[in-house]
Amino acid sequence: MLFQWGMRQQKKRMDVKQEGSDYSGEASDVPQEPLSAELAVNIDIIRQKTGESSDVIIRRFALGQKWQIKAAIIFVDGLVDEKNVYEFVLTPLLQASFPLALEEKERFQWIEKKLAAVGGVKHISDWGKLFFELFSGATVMLIDGTPFAVSASTKGGEYRSIEEPQTQIAVRGPREGFTESLRANTAMIRRRIRNPNLWLETMQIGTVTQTDVAIMYIKGIVNDGIVKEVRERLRRIDIDSVLESGYIEQLIEDQTFTTFPTTYHTERPDIVAANLLEGRVAVFVEGTPFVLLAPAVFIQFFQAVEDYYARFDIATALRFLRVLIFFISLVAPAIYIAATTFHQEMIPTQLVIAIAAQREAVPFPGFVEALVMEVTFEILREAGVRLPRAVGQAVSIVGALVIGQAAVEAGFVSSAMVIVVSITAIASFATPSFAIAISARLIRFGLMFLAAMFGFYGIMMGILAMILHLCSLRSFGVPYMSPLAPFIPSNAGDTLFRVPTWMFRERPRLINQKNIVRQSGDQKPEPPAPSRQEKGDGA
Amino acid sequence: MEPIQINIRQLFVLIVLFEHGSAIVIPLGVSAKQDVWIAILLGLALGLLVFSVYGRLFRCYPDQPLVGYIQHIVGAPLGKLLGIVYVTYFLYIAARVLRDFGELLLTFAYPETPLFVLNAIMALVVMYGAYKGLEVLARTGELFLAMLYVMALAGFVLVFVSGVMDLSQLEPVLEEGWGRVWKTVFTETLYVPFGEMIVFTMLFPYVNNPAKVSRAAVIGMALTGLNLAVIAAINMIVLGPDGASRSSFPLLDTIRRIQVAHFFERLDVLFMIALIIGGFFKISIFFYAGVVGAAHLFGISKHQRIVYPLGLLVLLLSIAIASNYAEHIYEGLKIVTFYLHIPLQIIIPVLLLVIAAIRRRFGPSTK
Repeated sequence: MLFQWGMRQQKKRMDVKQEGSDYSGEASDVPQEPLSAELAVNIDIIRQKTGESSDVIIRRFALGQKWQIKAAIIFVDGLVDEKNVYEFVLTPLLQASFPLALEEKERFQWIEKKLAAVGGVKHISDWGKLFFELFSGATVMLIDGTPFAVSASTKGGEYRSIEEPQTQIAVRGPREGFTESLRANTAMIRRRIRNPNLWLETMQIGTVTQTDVAIMYIKGIVNDGIVKEVRERLRRIDIDSVLESGYIEQLIEDQTFTTFPTTYHTERPDIVAANLLEGRVAVFVEGTPFVLLAPAVFIQFFQAVEDYYARFDIATALRFLRVLIFFISLVAPAIYIAATTFHQEMIPTQLVIAIAAQREAVPFPGFVEALVMEVTFEILREAGVRLPRAVGQAVSIVGALVIGQAAVEAGFVSSAMVIVVSITAIASFATPSFAIAISARLIRFGLMFLAAMFGFYGIMMGILAMILHLCSLRSFGVPYMSPLAPFIPSNAGDTLFRVPTWMFRERPRLINQKNIVRQSGDQKPEPPAPSRQEKGDGA
Repeated sequence: MEPIQINIRQLFVLIVLFEHGSAIVIPLGVSAKQDVWIAILLGLALGLLVFSVYGRLFRCYPDQPLVGYIQHIVGAPLGKLLGIVYVTYFLYIAARVLRDFGELLLTFAYPETPLFVLNAIMALVVMYGAYKGLEVLARTGELFLAMLYVMALAGFVLVFVSGVMDLSQLEPVLEEGWGRVWKTVFTETLYVPFGEMIVFTMLFPYVNNPAKVSRAAVIGMALTGLNLAVIAAINMIVLGPDGASRSSFPLLDTIRRIQVAHFFERLDVLFMIALIIGGFFKISIFFYAGVVGAAHLFGISKHQRIVYPLGLLVLLLSIAIASNYAEHIYEGLKIVTFYLHIPLQIIIPVLLLVIAAIRRRFGPSTK
C-alpha cells in the first residue's frame, strides 16, 4: 500500500516536472512562455514581473562594430560578485566584435566562447528558468533580435564567514563550523573526505523559495536502501518554503508524535564526516548551518564528538556521566516529590528531619512547590535565551535572587527544593545534545505529575512506558535503541562504552549492511620489542 | 499471523524475564523450608521434562502457535474449543499476576491507594506494550534484563557486605526427608514458573531461527532456575527457615536487612524495581499470548484491534477474581493448580503429542 502510494506521489511529481521543466512555478505567476525576440519587450516583462525591485539591476549596452545591436545584462545586486560581472561578462562582450550574420545556435556558441572565463554558461529559452537563474546569482544576458537568453554563473555576495560553532563546543577538535552557504558547507566535508565515492545529490524544495537541498553520502559504505528512502521522502515534500533544516526534519522523520528526535542535527563538519563514514546520510539545506544526519539512534545523542578524540577511558567515564545527567534531568524533581510525599522512610533519618524542618514553613504541597519552581526556571531560561545579551545579564541576576535566596527567605519554597531545581537545570544544560535535553524537559513534568499521584511506582511506570516508546521508535527503519536493543555485540563497543580506537573494527551493522569492516584488526599499539642490548642489561 | 520476528537472543531474554517474573518476589516454595533451593532445582528438572513436550510439538508445527496446531491435531471444532480454553487461561493468569502485583504494592508501599488504581496503571502500560507488539517488548526486555542483573549483583554484594548471612540456616539438609521437598515440587515450583512456559508455545513461531528455539528455551529456563534457587537460598540464609516462610515477601525482608555504612539502607526501591520489571514482563507475555491467540482464533488480522477491550477485561478480572488477598492466595494454591495448571500445562500437551504422533504414523500425511 505504502509503496503504491509512494509511486503515485512520484508520478504526480513527474507530471509537475513535465509541465514546468526545471521550475515548477505553481505558486508564482511566472509565465512559462518562451522569451520574446525583442529586447524592449523582454526588459519590460522582467521589470513588471519583479515589481521594478531596486535590487534587480538591468544594464543596457550595445554590441557590434557600429554599436548597432542593443543588449542588456540583468543581475541581482548582492547575489553576484559585481567585479566578476563587469570584468568577465561585460568586458569580453564589449571588446569583441559581434558578428551580425550568425544563426541562432551559432550566436549562443559565440557568446559561450567569449564568456569562457566565467563558466556555467547556459542557454535559456523560457521565463521560469530565467528567473530561477537570476535569483540563484547568475547574470542573464539578453540580445535584441534573439529569442533566448544566456546566463553565466557569477555567484557571490556576502555570507557569514566560517566561525567556531556555537553549539556542540569541543575542547579538542577542529574549530570550524558550518555556515549558511550550502556550497561552503559541502566543501568542508570534501576537504575532510578526499574520495570520489563521496557523492552529492542536489534538488530544489519549496515551491516559492526554491531552496537548494543536498544529500551527501559515501557510495560503497552507505546502505543504498537508506539513501533511496531519504531521497523518496525528500521528493515527497510539497511545501512552499524551506527556511531551515528543521522544516525538512519534521517532514521526513519517521514519527511525529514523540518527544525524541529521530534525526540528528549538527553544525560541526567533523561530526558529519564521521557519520558519513559510518554509513549515514547527510542532508544539507541552503541558508542554515545545521546539517541533518539520518538515521539517528538514541545513544548517539549522548556521544560528544570529543569522545573520539580523547582517550577511551576518559571518554567512557564521560559517557556514563552523561547518561546519569540525562537521568537526573529527567527524574530529580519527581524523586524529590515522591520521597517527600510518599516514601519518607526511604530517606536517611537525619536528612528527613532536615527537609521536614525546612518544609514546615512552606505553605504548598511538594508537588506544587516543585511545579512552581520548575516553571519559574523554565521562564528564566526562555528569557535568557531570547533576550538581547545586554538584558540577559539582568535576567540572570534577578533569577538568582528570586529563585535562589528570596524565595527561600520568604518561606515560599524550601532550600532543598532550590537545590533540586538547580541540579536539574545544570544537568539539563550538561546534556551534549540540545534536542534530547528538550525532550527530557517535557517528560520531566509528566514524571513529576506521576510522582505526585503514585510516588516511586508512578515514576517507574512512567519510565517503563517511556522505554517501551523508545524501543518502538525507528529512524529510517533502524530501531532507535540499537545497538543496545536489539543488542548487537560487535557494535556495543561504541555505546555507553567507548573501546580503544584500535578496537573499532566494524561500522554500525543496522545502518550499514554490506561494507562493515572499518579497519584491520591487529592495530593494538605496543612498545617496540626490546633490543638485544637492553635484554642483556636487564639480565 | 503478522510478519513480526524476534531473534533467538530476544527470545532468550523474554524467557528469562518471564520466568523470573513474580517468582523472585513471592515466597516461592518456602513450604520446603531450608530445602527450598532443592525444591526449585527439582521443579526446574521436571519443568524441563515438561518443556520437552512443548518443544516437540513446536518441531512438528514450526509455523503455528499452540491454538493453531491444536486444531490440526484434534480437529477444528474441539481444537477451537481448546484454543478458547487456552486463550482464557492466558488472560486469566495475566489477571491473576496483575492482582498479585497490585496486592504486593498495596501491602508494602501504598496502603491507602485503591487496588484498582494501582492495577489500572500497570494494565495501561501492559496494553501499550502489547499494542506496540512483540518486537518492542523484546527490545525493552533486552534493556531491562541488563538492568535487572546489575541490580541483582549490587544487591548480592550489599547483602554480603552487611554481614547478615548465616550459612548454617540451610542446615540440616533434608531434615524431614524427601517427602516435603517432593510435595513442594508437585504443588508449587513445577507449575510456577516452569510449567508456565506453555505460554511461549504461542510465541515460538515468531522467532526467526526455529532450529535454535528449544535450546534457547532450555538454557533460559536453566539459568532462571539457578538464579531462583540462589535467591531463595539467600533469603533462607538471611532470614532463616522460620522467618522466610512467615514472610509475605522474603526478598523484600532480605533487602531490608541491608545496612552498609549508614547510607545503603532501606533499599526498598530495589525490590520495587525488581517487582515492576518482573511483573510487567510476566503480565505482558501472558496478555500478549492471549491477545494473539484470540486474534488467531477469530481471524482478526491485526491484534492491535483487540488489545484495549481485552486489556480492560483483564483489569476488571484482576479486581473481580477474589474479594480479598487471602481468598486470592487460596485460589492460587488450591484451585488454580489442580484445575488449571495440571490439565493445561501437562495433561493436554502430552495428549496432543501422543495424538500427533499417532496421526503421523497411521493417518494420511497431514503436511
